[in-house]
Amino acid sequence: MNIIETRDISFSYNTKEILTNVSFSLKQGEFLGIIGPNGAGKSTILRLICGILRPKHGTITVSGHDTRGIERKQLAKKIAFVSQETHFVLNFTVEEIVMMGRFPYLRAFQRENKTDYEARDHALAYADLQDFRKRPINSLSSGERQRVVLARALAQEPAILILDEPTSHLDLHHQFAIMELLKKLNKEGMSIIAVNHDLNLASLYCERLILMHQGKVFEQGSPKDLITEKILKQVYQTEVKVIRHPQKDVPHILLNPKGE
Amino acid sequence: MFSKAVKAVCIGCVVLILATGINSCEKPVSHTGFKIVSLSPAMTEIVFALGVAQDLVGVTTFCNYPEQAKKIYKIGDFSNPSLERIVGRKPDLVIVNLPEQMRIKRQLEKLNINIFISSPRTLDDIYDEIIEIGRILKKEQAADSLVNYMKMHISRVDKPVLNAVEGSSKKRVYIELSPKPLVTIGAPSFLNELLEMAGAENIFADLEKDYPVVPQEEVIKRNPDVIIVLHPEKITDRLGWRKITAIKNNAVYTTLNQDHLMRPGPRLVIGFKELKDIVDE
Amino acid sequence: MNRYIPIFLVFLLAIFLSIIIGPAQLNTDILQLRISRVILGIFAGGVLAFCGGILQGLFGNPLVEPYTLGSASGAALGGSVGMLIFGTISPLFAFLGALGVGFFVFTIARIEGGLLRDRLILAGVVMSFLCSSLVMIIMVMGGRELYEILYLLMGYLGVVINSTNRLMIILMIVLSGILLLYLYQYYRELDIISQGMETAAGLGIDIQKLSIIIFLTTALLIGITVSIVGAIGFVGLIVPHISKLIFGPKHLKNLPASFLLGATFLLLADTIARVITVYELPVGVVTSLVGVPFFIYLYRRQ
Repeated sequence: MNIIETRDISFSYNTKEILTNVSFSLKQGEFLGIIGPNGAGKSTILRLICGILRPKHGTITVSGHDTRGIERKQLAKKIAFVSQETHFVLNFTVEEIVMMGRFPYLRAFQRENKTDYEARDHALAYADLQDFRKRPINSLSSGERQRVVLARALAQEPAILILDEPTSHLDLHHQFAIMELLKKLNKEGMSIIAVNHDLNLASLYCERLILMHQGKVFEQGSPKDLITEKILKQVYQTEVKVIRHPQKDVPHILLNPKGE
Repeated sequence: MFSKAVKAVCIGCVVLILATGINSCEKPVSHTGFKIVSLSPAMTEIVFALGVAQDLVGVTTFCNYPEQAKKIYKIGDFSNPSLERIVGRKPDLVIVNLPEQMRIKRQLEKLNINIFISSPRTLDDIYDEIIEIGRILKKEQAADSLVNYMKMHISRVDKPVLNAVEGSSKKRVYIELSPKPLVTIGAPSFLNELLEMAGAENIFADLEKDYPVVPQEEVIKRNPDVIIVLHPEKITDRLGWRKITAIKNNAVYTTLNQDHLMRPGPRLVIGFKELKDIVDE
Repeated sequence: MNRYIPIFLVFLLAIFLSIIIGPAQLNTDILQLRISRVILGIFAGGVLAFCGGILQGLFGNPLVEPYTLGSASGAALGGSVGMLIFGTISPLFAFLGALGVGFFVFTIARIEGGLLRDRLILAGVVMSFLCSSLVMIIMVMGGRELYEILYLLMGYLGVVINSTNRLMIILMIVLSGILLLYLYQYYRELDIISQGMETAAGLGIDIQKLSIIIFLTTALLIGITVSIVGAIGFVGLIVPHISKLIFGPKHLKNLPASFLLGATFLLLADTIARVITVYELPVGVVTSLVGVPFFIYLYRRQ
């Protein structure tokens, strides 16, 4: 069953066309990766799905309902968005920030109830943040902050998690931790769409990939079908060597430095 | 009620006499050879009184007295006279009011235009200025008689009987020029002097500023016997003011013409008469 | 919660000082006068600080407040235009002025898909100066005394209350209270906006709609305040910072605290203004004396 379906969506800023006729779908429980060069329109797709931007043409449906007919807060109960924003103007504590994930469930002046506290604590535990809960956010490292942001999204108790480059700027340890966390969530039934710059990570963790190029879907399919030397040359204009991952049956990219 | 009506008529008569008296000075038409621009409404009145109004080639929109002054070419208002309009009249003399017109004064100086500075703080300053402008315009005699005339009508009211209890019997007066904020008169203003000469005491005579802004509480604390209001706003229904002696005794005067009291010119004679009437009541 | 207790005690102390300190002997009439002044102080200080806190939250910029954003001077300008037409400074025109200038500043600072925060302040301060000059011109054209202009641009609490304006002032204060409560309901949204615009939008906040609501409501509040006591500066800048220092970043707590602290600050500033001279000094002079160094300090730290 398709939990998200986009049909022929187009989007432009003023006159600049960002996306043209993009159609794809996300199956229930699927881990979908969106890859492509800078400026291909990857992040825009995510914003359209979350309802932050409205498509100029085409429709997006979530569980069969057109997103235009869904209230913003209702949509936020279904879809959680992890943006690249990890800069914090105000120095909230970790648990305060995670509690903000409960916003879609709360009316103005309504106090957080037991369900909200449980959801928060569950999210904190899931992201392994119990020891940090009283810490001010600006005292955390960027890897820890990324986990806070993820926990905030989990507190939304969404069916779908949408992530915009969740591993950029992170060291190897934190990259691995985040991706493993996503894999675990996915195993437990969470549908995920993640934009990822790191093609090797995408190849390792995503079941299916969508390759974007110049605002259009260039190709979609399994990592095996998509990550080939020929396609990458076409889209990235870069000569690479693709080998098989020694332990998993997925492609792995190696760069060839010039002059040797 | 009746006495008030009589008083009004009396004041009216005095005004009439004074007005014609002043007007009579200007009958002998003579040219001074000067082209004058006056940026001071009071000086405009003085120039008229000296009988050389035909030499005025420019005045401000505030120069509304006498009636003929309204017909003279306008070079802008009192606070914002236009340099171009002034220069355009090719004046031989520009009468400038300080400190309000400091900027235009500097600009005129750069253009080497003759300036007469008017900045009176006391009655004597006013008389000196009249004599001085009379000398410049070669109207010494007219200036002398104007000053004598003013001095005659604005003179200290002597109450020898009451001298023994000096102070306690003097009416204490609060003059309000503006309601938002409260602006009154302090010691260095000719209006303060006029009040004293009329036999009254300005409740803010201790302030060393000509037009100080004062708090409401100070007015209530100083509890004036008489309040003279020189703006159109009603003051008797103000919160916290009802116990002031002047308000309790209905001694609030709102009908005085501001120009009679605030313009350091010939019509101070009328203003003084009006003040004296209030004080003597 | 108990951090409110000392704040509230200081607030009460400020009220007490405002009522007992003054040139005249305290009697029922003087008491009436001082109480009305205290009410105006609480109203103006509270509203300005609350609006400052809300705007700082919305724009994520610690330098934003009704004065640096140009809205306060815009309100003074609108009020002056209204004065030129009707002879009195009306809240409606002040509101339109605050709105117009705010909109203009907004447009200058807007870029594709967002706001340049530094440009917002620059545009606001520049517009503030421009509006002040225009106020001067308009008031002088309307034959007003320089005093009146100065007091409109700096603000003062010694406003004369009489039967003509009493009802209007009471109504405006009640309306302001309602508007403040209305704005207060967005405390969670403001917390979340500090996490980033996309995060906020992802959590279901309609940023554009919220911005418009806050923008219009604060403009109305500032218009009302300026039309009654003039454009008092820097209360809305300093107080939200102090409030956040004491109560933390949660707007649920720091917005009401801003109101209390703003009222306290303005009452104390006014008491100082009344004590140091027998003349009526615009209270904005005192708030600016404290506020300008604070502004420079924040700007440098940014």
